Amino acid sequence: MCDHEVKTNCFEYIDSQMPPVPLELNVNGESIYELIDPAMTLLDFLRVSLKLFGTKEGCREGECGACTVIMNGRAVPSCLILAIEAQGADIITVEGLSKNGELSILQQEFIKEDGLQCGFCTPGMLMSAKALLDRNPNPTVDEVKEAIAGNLCRCTGYKSIINAILSAAKREREALSNG
Amino acid sequence: MLSKFDYYKPVSLEKATEYLNENSETKILAGGTDLLISLQKNKERCKHILDIKAIPELNRFTYTEGRGYFIGAAITVNQISEEKLLREKYPAISQGADALGSYQVRNRATMVGNICNASPGADLAAPLLVYDAKVHIASSEGIRATDLCDFFTGVKKTILKPKDLVIGISIPDVERGDRSVYLRKSRIKGADLCNVAIALRINPENKLSIALGAVSTIPMRLFELERKIAERELTPELGDWLAAEIKTYINPRRDSIRSSPEYRYLITGVLAKRGLLKLIDKEGA
Ligand code: FES
Ligand code: FES
Repeated sequence: MCDHEVKTNCFEYIDSQMPPVPLELNVNGESIYELIDPAMTLLDFLRVSLKLFGTKEGCREGECGACTVIMNGRAVPSCLILAIEAQGADIITVEGLSKNGELSILQQEFIKEDGLQCGFCTPGMLMSAKALLDRNPNPTVDEVKEAIAGNLCRCTGYKSIINAILSAAKREREALSNG
Repeated sequence: MLSKFDYYKPVSLEKATEYLNENSETKILAGGTDLLISLQKNKERCKHILDIKAIPELNRFTYTEGRGYFIGAAITVNQISEEKLLREKYPAISQGADALGSYQVRNRATMVGNICNASPGADLAAPLLVYDAKVHIASSEGIRATDLCDFFTGVKKTILKPKDLVIGISIPDVERGDRSVYLRKSRIKGADLCNVAIALRINPENKLSIALGAVSTIPMRLFELERKIAERELTPELGDWLAAEIKTYINPRRDSIRSSPEYRYLITGVLAKRGLLKLIDKEGA
């Protein structure tokens, strides 16, 4: 865990040394069972234990949205959830978006609309956007803005991100009605 | 994080209060959107975490005709935002829920957590205050209820004792024609804390209730001002009087990083007038 008082250890997880607790959950369709540190956040569990580095750590205080994952269908900040709280949960991370090596429509539209530059905010943006489209397949611009208001981007600018989400919504609706 | 804690998630209220009784240095975990920040920044320490989300009473979210709502301590802010009947009957509460944090945070944060943290600018405080909400508290000695207006005692301070556990908040039923509004001013349009927050409510007998957030050490209901208003007629002209008068009831911090006291005095007046005009059905301000 990044200990703000021990700066040298920012990239290392420091175990609390408390007796480990069993955690069972589903991540991107895979059942997982592990003994974990009770003080570990869901963000650290994904990155440190499961080596799923797609989910990013930005602020660790719920402000930036880089750590957003989908938990039981809802977009949540994984930095503010203890891993043990995800007992029995279904988690989707950015790694779970593509199927059989093919990017999801949402991911494809982010590329097409130039919805990313450095890409640091992108996993969080994608998860917030996916959660939105899952509950509301036809969102307005304002609804998109509201859904990603908790996701900060330092480089792309929000316009192309919003466009990417809107055109993904359109393509997904078309795919559904043709399907 | 310097805290070393174990984690306990009881499935009954009795077990939870028992645990609190036996284990000092326990922190109660509901949404965790405040607690996990202060633990990770070492602003707070604890030895035990008590996760209350599996206790059935705390997951209650019910409306009973004539009695109103009961909102359990495990109910998230987004669950409140999504409740249609609540939005119809108590618009200010839904608007407060919409304004809190970001969408992701609202999926975790709870209404009761927002109240128990007792931030002066807690978005749900002012709306709940104008509806005479009650806080229901359990401890090993039993259950008691207290008026929300007596709950806050200072910045991040409440009447709660270390062994207390809030079960939920009840809001009395309202009659047809009851209306309310929640207005806030923040630095940016997106997710941001507020500089000034105000909830106004007019009941069918034309009685106005007002509560403020972020302009004093605690969120507060302005009973005295309400009594003065009751002696007057609710007309659009009252807006200017209210805008001037309300400033005498607030006490904004000198050292806030978000805005100067002068700005808060001004905006409190502006929002009070705007809210009043909205409620008496006139555009403008
Ligand atoms: S890292 Fe979780 S919101 Fe920034
Ligand atoms: S693409 Fe760089 S932060 Fe958004």
